Amino acid sequence: MKALILVGGFGTRLRPLTFSMPKPLVDFGNKPMILHQIEALKDAGVTELVLAINHQQPEVMLNFMKEYEKKLDIKITFSQETEPLGTAGPLALARDKLVDDSGEPFFVLNSDVICEYPLLEMIEFHKNHGAEASIMVTKVDDPSKYGVVVMEEGATERVESFVEKPLHFVGNKINAGIYLLNPSVLDRIELRRTSIEKEIFPEIVLEKKLYAMVLPGFWMDIGQPKDYIAGQRMYLDFLRRKAPEELVATGDHVIGNVLVDETAVIGDGCLIGPDVVIGPGCVIDSGVRLLGCTVMRGVCIKEHACVSNSIVGWDSTVGKWARVVNMTVLGKDVHVGDAEVYNSGAVIEEPQMVVM
Amino acid sequence: MKALILVGGFGTRLRPLTLSMPKPLVEFGNKPMILHQIEALKDAGVTEAVLAINHQQPEVMLNFVKEYEKKLEIKITFSQETEPLGTAGLLALARDMLVDESGKPFFVLNSDVICEYPLLEMIEFHKTHGAEASIMVTKGVVVTEEATERVESFVEKPLHFVGNKINAGIYLLNPSVLDRIELRRTSIEKEIFPKIASEKMLYAMVLPGFWMDIGQPKDYIRGQRLYLDSLRKKSSQELVIRDHIIGNVVVDESVVMGEGCLIGPDVVIGPGCVIGSGVRLFNCTVMRGVTVKEHACVSDSILGWDSTVGKWARVFNVTVLGKGVHVADAEVYNSGDVIQEMVI
Repeated sequence: MKALILVGGFGTRLRPLTFSMPKPLVDFGNKPMILHQIEALKDAGVTELVLAINHQQPEVMLNFMKEYEKKLDIKITFSQETEPLGTAGPLALARDKLVDDSGEPFFVLNSDVICEYPLLEMIEFHKNHGAEASIMVTKVDDPSKYGVVVMEEGATERVESFVEKPLHFVGNKINAGIYLLNPSVLDRIELRRTSIEKEIFPEIVLEKKLYAMVLPGFWMDIGQPKDYIAGQRMYLDFLRRKAPEELVATGDHVIGNVLVDETAVIGDGCLIGPDVVIGPGCVIDSGVRLLGCTVMRGVCIKEHACVSNSIVGWDSTVGKWARVVNMTVLGKDVHVGDAEVYNSGAVIEEPQMVVM
Repeated sequence: MKALILVGGFGTRLRPLTLSMPKPLVEFGNKPMILHQIEALKDAGVTEAVLAINHQQPEVMLNFVKEYEKKLEIKITFSQETEPLGTAGLLALARDMLVDESGKPFFVLNSDVICEYPLLEMIEFHKTHGAEASIMVTKGVVVTEEATERVESFVEKPLHFVGNKINAGIYLLNPSVLDRIELRRTSIEKEIFPKIASEKMLYAMVLPGFWMDIGQPKDYIRGQRLYLDSLRKKSSQELVIRDHIIGNVVVDESVVMGEGCLIGPDVVIGPGCVIGSGVRLFNCTVMRGVTVKEHACVSDSILGWDSTVGKWARVFNVTVLGKGVHVADAEVYNSGDVIQEMVI
């Protein structure tokens, strides 16, 4: 079975992290974002994966892929757009890689999405209704910011319409960015800039061939810091239920759900959690307080510092008594001085001046 | 010899501290602000100090004063205005307490001023020039004749720069000055001094050392740094020297401090405070009875009496906590005044 992951975009909202790393490789829960999806696809029986990228940093991605192709025993290829193709165009571009004689449906995933990935259930769902396309939908409290998927009356699970950012309440299910499509969908897509939600799906809906499955469990688009941190909380809560052995045991110095790489070192008298992820090689000195935050690989947090609701980028240092709070994002290799306070905002390391 | 300390005003700029205490009793360098001045006056030979107050909290002041009258052996009386009289009107109101048969000059001090108080030198200076009035000046807008130190003109808050010395708020006046003042709202700087200057009877002495009007938090903190620096030079035994201390720090002997702290420079910690392990304090004032919990960090701020700063909390950038404020664990207070919420 095949799949396409839409990896386009420039990751602007996750700057400064995305200055140092292409977005799909930014870690989430101590593994690259895209790896969560690749592993889920592999578990659902996908043998061949196409990454639809734009023209940014293909070499870094290439190296990553070579490593994981071997590890996961899955074939990974790239489909690189040279001009913007929207959300549907990349499918047309990758056509030859997505269809074969088997006629099996293929998955399409948006790369910023994190959820429980019930893909085997989705395959069942798709078989049962026997129509052309399936999408996952998720329930949200405030649908007005999203594209709402309106279902037909009754228990059909068939989609009636899409309403983009509705002013009045029309439903509370939104497009979760996970599709399972028959190859015939590709016949509908021209090789130009096309939107799958605005142009392709509405056509399929008119022919009553689009069905929606409600996504069980959590869902989050983690493409911006606020949602990344909220998503981390949900993901750790999911781990607590499904694989609690991966979390650190609670005790004197650990509150709630905390994920710590085994190579990280934590000093005395710290108080870590809830909802903290600490990456490989981190050094957390004595008396540090961490809550609701992400500490990327190689970070040093010095004594008595406190980090909350923030992301600390790879190799950064947070000085003694410093405070990093309220949705601050430190990029790679940022040094926060002793007793400094960083209250929200994105922080990059100052470039070194070279005097000629 | 006699002195008048102008203690009027409501201390609005030092709120929330002044919500719990009249401003002259707010501590500076671990002693009530006004005590710095009373002690300096006593050392200069003043036997009687008149406190010119308005109608606020006289009882609290009364108790304080009774205590220090005995301790310092100086007579302290009050002159209370019932309507606003301005800086000169208060002198007229207190006239009977300031003049006696001796005809000696009397000091007038503004209560917010902190400096080295070279009052004996000022008495010498006043005798030497033999004119009617002496004022201390630091930088600012008093224009003096170069050689004679006589004041040419007195420009209060000028629109253009006329000189680089300002009125430090310390005067030594002959009793005849009182004859110039009517008992109504009068400003000594705007109405009385210009007249005396035009008669060539006003002389200015340049204040050696530091000077600060500590009536607002930013200046209070800056004044504390200057004061501690002055202590380092004059009576360094009052400063603490220890492993975890940087620069000039005053710590009351009753203070309990945990391990791994880093205190200073420019910190004053009052009686009965408890400082937890791993605390960082710099450029700040910790009033009596405050608890600062582990790993917290306080800088450029004032913590009011009996407040608590929680673990990992951060109080900085000219934050003033009033009496009994509780800063929760890991909270960040960035500037502003904080009073404890009322319990209903």
